[in-house]
Amino acid sequence: MLVTKYLAELCSLLIDDLYGELPSRIFAALLLRGRSSLPELCNYTSMSARQLRHGLAVLHQHNLLFYQVDSYNGVATYEANAEHAYNLIRAGKILEMIDTSFGAPAKDVMQSLLLSGQTRIGDLVAAYQDKIDHVNKAAKAVKDETSEWDEPNGTTDETVAEKRPDLAVKSTNQLNAVICRLVEAELIDVVHSKTFQTSFDIYKAVEKEVMDTHFPGGPRGGKAKVELQQKVAEGLRKVRDESKSLKRKLDQNGTQAKRRKLLFSGGPSNGVKDEHEEADSDPVLDSKQVIRINYEKCLVDLRNRRLVQFATDMIGPTTAYVYGVFLGLLTKRVSRCRLDPEIDITEDDSQGRGYVTTDEILDNLKTSIDLSLGLGKAPRTEISSKAAEKILEDPPKKRRFIEEAEVDGNASADESDDEGGSDTDHSDSDHDHKGPATNGTKVKFADSAKEQRLDRPALLRQHLLLLAESTQRFVRHCGHNDWTVDFVPLMRTMRESELDVVIERTSGREGLRLVRILRSKGKLDEKALPNVALMRKAEIQQKMLEMQTAGFVDIQEVPRDNKADVKKSFFLWFCDSDRSLRRLLDNSYKTMLRCIQVLEVLRQKDKDVLMLTKRSDVRGQEKDVMEKVYYDRYSRFLANEKKLFAQIMRIDDLVSLIRDY
Amino acid sequence: MAETADPAKIQILKDALYTEARQHGSESRLFTQKDLTDLNVIPNDNVILLLLVVQALCDDKLFVATSHQSGLAWRWRSREDAKKYTSLPNDETMLVYSVIDEAGADGIWNRTIKHKLNMHEAVVKNCIKYLETQRYIEGMKNVEHPNKKMYIKANLRPSDRATGGPWFTEGELDTAFITELQNIVFEYIKKQSAYLGSQGGHRDAGASRVPKKGTIRGAAPEAGESSRGVKRAATEISNDDQPSPSAKAATENGTGATTTARSKAKMVFLPMPAGYKSYPTVSEIAKLIHATGITNNTTLGEADIQQLVDVLTFDGLVEPITVNGRKGYRVTRASKQDTVSFAKRQKDREAGIGLDEPPNGVQPSSNGLTEAPCGRCPVFELCEEGGPVSPSNCVYFLRWLGLDDTRSGPV
Repeated sequence: MLVTKYLAELCSLLIDDLYGELPSRIFAALLLRGRSSLPELCNYTSMSARQLRHGLAVLHQHNLLFYQVDSYNGVATYEANAEHAYNLIRAGKILEMIDTSFGAPAKDVMQSLLLSGQTRIGDLVAAYQDKIDHVNKAAKAVKDETSEWDEPNGTTDETVAEKRPDLAVKSTNQLNAVICRLVEAELIDVVHSKTFQTSFDIYKAVEKEVMDTHFPGGPRGGKAKVELQQKVAEGLRKVRDESKSLKRKLDQNGTQAKRRKLLFSGGPSNGVKDEHEEADSDPVLDSKQVIRINYEKCLVDLRNRRLVQFATDMIGPTTAYVYGVFLGLLTKRVSRCRLDPEIDITEDDSQGRGYVTTDEILDNLKTSIDLSLGLGKAPRTEISSKAAEKILEDPPKKRRFIEEAEVDGNASADESDDEGGSDTDHSDSDHDHKGPATNGTKVKFADSAKEQRLDRPALLRQHLLLLAESTQRFVRHCGHNDWTVDFVPLMRTMRESELDVVIERTSGREGLRLVRILRSKGKLDEKALPNVALMRKAEIQQKMLEMQTAGFVDIQEVPRDNKADVKKSFFLWFCDSDRSLRRLLDNSYKTMLRCIQVLEVLRQKDKDVLMLTKRSDVRGQEKDVMEKVYYDRYSRFLANEKKLFAQIMRIDDLVSLIRDY
Repeated sequence: MAETADPAKIQILKDALYTEARQHGSESRLFTQKDLTDLNVIPNDNVILLLLVVQALCDDKLFVATSHQSGLAWRWRSREDAKKYTSLPNDETMLVYSVIDEAGADGIWNRTIKHKLNMHEAVVKNCIKYLETQRYIEGMKNVEHPNKKMYIKANLRPSDRATGGPWFTEGELDTAFITELQNIVFEYIKKQSAYLGSQGGHRDAGASRVPKKGTIRGAAPEAGESSRGVKRAATEISNDDQPSPSAKAATENGTGATTTARSKAKMVFLPMPAGYKSYPTVSEIAKLIHATGITNNTTLGEADIQQLVDVLTFDGLVEPITVNGRKGYRVTRASKQDTVSFAKRQKDREAGIGLDEPPNGVQPSSNGLTEAPCGRCPVFELCEEGGPVSPSNCVYFLRWLGLDDTRSGPV
């Protein structure tokens, strides 16, 4: 990951906010200086080795550090893990996501993991046991006074649950089950020896090993080189999959897992019964395993949410809901948003089949959803089912996207012609060899659509077809009943549309128009612009200059002859979306940084009030104890803090879209 | 051979050749030597005779010699034009006039004339002055070079390239005209490419799990109101849902609550089902514009409308969609479009309401960056801790948080 100045500052500020100044300063030094050993760090930070060891331990605990022990002299060198440091900002978002999709207990477990960093399962269980015992004792004390029940655990738990609803995890068995579920969803994975090595170190190690075993004399010829690359990728994949060891183990007794899942979905909240049966079915996890949050998978789920949001904006809420269910099914086996070019050079079989069938989606839709909403209606004669049911078996070619940006002149016309042509060809041929199937659906349509509304599967199909037909290409219809998503081009479209939002907000609709013209036509002479944009020449010049300063467009000078006379040169405007996005990304870091800094300023300003609220006799009852003037200031501070954090979260949406999805 | 040069004979041949040439093509057609001999006017294909006749015609300005890829070629000129030439007082004026004549409908810059003829500026000026007073030529304006003094033959209309086409009025881009036309085109596409119907409360998909079906109602009068009355089924459902007006549905999120509360009159545009064949095409739009007669003194071709629609596409308001090879246009983000009728909006705008809103389409969406003060900060690049502008003295942030300097905490 490229660490810019602002990102570095942001990361160390975040660590400062969460874990204190000591680790933050060490982290900042590591980011600034790169890989360093302990004595070097002593030099850079002018801290004692003892202090440094403490700080490093904290960083290490939270997976913010890479280290590498030199095999010759045994000296350890440390490197900052900026990616994980940035992920700290997403903690709230991840917790919220877990809460909505897995329920409160899972959220509680995740929160503990976030707070304590990577943890041995045994320790986690012990901590929860402590908490539960504590509550039980309190409950018992209450109960002893009032009632005569003195039953075994189950009932106690129930009363406890009634009395203290804020305790999300009620027994260690439940904890075990929750962890199992999260592991199966890949949201938690296992820490292993290579977790703390940078990807570069791992690559070097794997490459060395492959060289030693397979190519002692070095690879000769092109074939051998390809083979080497494949072997290395294989090795890297093995290392990567090591963190999934726990999941594999759970998968092996799959039937049990399935049973538990069924029970669980029945109702996670009605305590007693579940717990007993879970106790039978859950494999007890090895308490020595160390677990941590798997941010890569969390990002996949966050991406799904983001896409749903996008679809809501572009099409409508009902269709977006269907899309959300579909994405959930599709990405079950997707462990990361972006494939690693070094690891995933060959077809990855472990991802399983890359499509979802209509029936699967139907099975997972909530029965309360009315699918007839959000769809326009048109007479059947106006609908071409052939065009709608068009099947695209292959993902769109990459070439086209490069072309779109590079080719000038009549690119857009060409493209649309081409599209129209090939599409009709395609659908024709498809139509031929799967004729009966299409006819079948057609007949069904006719029957049900005549008088009444369409039946549920047909409505679902309508929503999916709508998604497939959209210009954003949310979905690709890859078989008669199969649907998939081409994430790479889709995310590209989304990034562009996000960039468009920024452009429209800063330079107005005219600015957006000009940029999009350049994007579709390639490089354009200044004289050609007014004609296409239907704007005055002077206006265009002003807008373009404004946008050049903002970094959305740029100009290129092409001399007509060797003399390079400025007066005779062509000046071509162009827009480089990737460059604009990179700039946007850095601006986002800077904005987030400023938000945190402003918060710090506010904190300083209201220091006296905040100090007061830290007192143990004030804490928790601020409103009653504090003077009104002070309390008002306090609540105003809290409101501002909330606002700023919300803003940071929203900017993070942008950052993750540009960088991670 | 001498009698071939007989002036009377040449006169006859001249007239014959001239009329024959006029029969064979327009003023712009070029005749090569072979073409002329093939007209069978000159007896025995006598080249020398032909030369004499053509020379005579050229002297009378009835033929114009031009170069052609296979050598010389000629085109004819009408007698009236030729008369103008012959009536000119001197050669210079004639040269100037011929240069302007050749430039045709595009017109020519007076400095180009000077360059081409290599004459003194005063002479050119004199000639132009004479020609102008004789109303043989007139000045014109070119949109591409508004500052250049251009001349054109008096009886010609400036070409589209010079006037800028239908979008220009008197050399200026007519933005008001364009905007109005755009609004009409956009409104048409919106109406034709999306379905006006009712929709259940907005739900953040996945967030709320309450049944939402209570919100379909589309009572009979409203269903009739929507342009296509295809919605019988919805009316049926709505009737049995009417007694329980979805108070339950409006629990979880704010947007849901507001939508359902207002849903009595809430109509939204819905996307058409996939494979819809009747998205409006450019030619349909052109027909509409033509039929309404909005542009009574300008004629707009399909290419002009295409230009207009392209601009709308670049603005992100409409998008092209190809169904079965038929390229139509549809509105983007249909469900977010407002359903206020065009006439009402016009009235509002005349009354001065909503003038600051974009004339068509939805408000641009925004993201975290554009909403934060930094996203719009004019001094963002300078902002640095310890610099003249820094997070600790940022006024924009204070204003954004509602902490004006006057109110910010006691010292």
